[in-house]
Amino acid sequence: MKKYINITLALSILALTWVSCFKEDTPVDEDGLLITTRTECAVTNFELLGSDFVTVRTVAPVIDTVAQKVSVTVQFGTDLKNLYPQFSLSQDAKLDPKITGKMDFSDLGNPKVFTVVSGNRVVKKPYTVVITVQPK
Amino acid sequence: MKLKYIKTISPVFVAAVLLFLGCKKEEYALPTAKDVLQNTAIKRTLGPNIVTQTIDFAYAAAILPEKGKLTSIQVEATIAGATGTYLENKSYNTNGSGVDVGVPIGDASVNDGAKTTVTFSKDTSAATLRYYYVIPEEARGKTVSFTFTSKSSNGETATMTMGPYTIAKMDMVRNLAVKTDSAYISIADMKVYDPKTAATLGAKIDLIYLYRNITTSTFAHALVSPAADTAYLPSVKMPAGLTNSSKLIKVFNLQDFNLARLQFGIYIDDIDLQQVDFTNAPNYAINLRAEAGTWVQTADGKYRAYIFINSVNANGSAVISIKRLAL
Repeated sequence: MKKYINITLALSILALTWVSCFKEDTPVDEDGLLITTRTECAVTNFELLGSDFVTVRTVAPVIDTVAQKVSVTVQFGTDLKNLYPQFSLSQDAKLDPKITGKMDFSDLGNPKVFTVVSGNRVVKKPYTVVITVQPK
Repeated sequence: MKLKYIKTISPVFVAAVLLFLGCKKEEYALPTAKDVLQNTAIKRTLGPNIVTQTIDFAYAAAILPEKGKLTSIQVEATIAGATGTYLENKSYNTNGSGVDVGVPIGDASVNDGAKTTVTFSKDTSAATLRYYYVIPEEARGKTVSFTFTSKSSNGETATMTMGPYTIAKMDMVRNLAVKTDSAYISIADMKVYDPKTAATLGAKIDLIYLYRNITTSTFAHALVSPAADTAYLPSVKMPAGLTNSSKLIKVFNLQDFNLARLQFGIYIDDIDLQQVDFTNAPNYAINLRAEAGTWVQTADGKYRAYIFINSVNANGSAVISIKRLAL
């Protein structure tokens, strides 16, 4: 009887070990981010911070998801060469190019374009960030 | 049957023994004091050691009453302290209300070169004296160490060395009042001038303080270089010869303790001023608020500074404090 108990125990441990070693093949992209099935691809909010990490916006940004355009008015005297943009995106989406620090938005004639990539990494939508400086 | 009995009873017995041992309280015994003159010290000030400011210490010495009394305490600095350096002749204790109460133990301290001495005149077996070292100009950029020595009536001597402490190269000036159109700031002089004097100083003027209540934009309090775009110098009649274009970086939530004297334990040291990256920095900073600040680099690259806005007033004035490093 004891012999059967021992065999059952050994088999159970073996089964548990095998199960724990089994790794599900979850897809991740080149950034190590999970690739999901979501197709939503939009900017949901936008913020622009100055070198002092305080917002430079005068009003809430206008985000047009059809025209794929973010319009933001900044305070008079904003140092446009040293701004930190912040995007809120649809769930699982990511931004290209990545924001790694402060950016130069001083060339108002050539607005910066950021591409939103959906969670399934298939849908890509370029958003143009148009900055207007508050008049003096 | 016997084995089963042992298996059941043993853990219960062991647990009971452990429980008994766990409840046994060890008797507290008063530690036996060493029978020689003892001493210890702590440094009470934090942050960079800035010339003209103090480094504060508390030095304690004690001997068993039956062995003798304290006769003197002496501090020797490797660089003599500036005028105002002294060792308290009071031993402090904190009363029930949290107030430090000083008990005089001798005459006021005597400075002799780099040595500061207090001679005890009261029978004292234990005392904690405070030492205030005013950092002299000759210590700038160097290191300073302190040797505390206590002597007792039975001939014993106890010594403790503190340091070395690096003295910062920076300068500091606090509470400069600036008023609109009469606030021409020289980082080199660390002073504020009126337009008439500023016109005679020319290249020494690095910044102008402005206050403008503009309804269409947020201008308010500003620090602007003389060479900045005139859009940032509205209605300013610039005195002749002011052409500097200093670089500025706006900062918020950097309430340096030395400048702000608020509850924030933040200190700007030499290295912080050295490491600021002024690439692409503008030559103006507008819409400044109280407790904000700006990093500044002068046009000639000789100085870097941090200007902290202590307070602002809507009538067009502010109080600023400056830490400055000569590069």
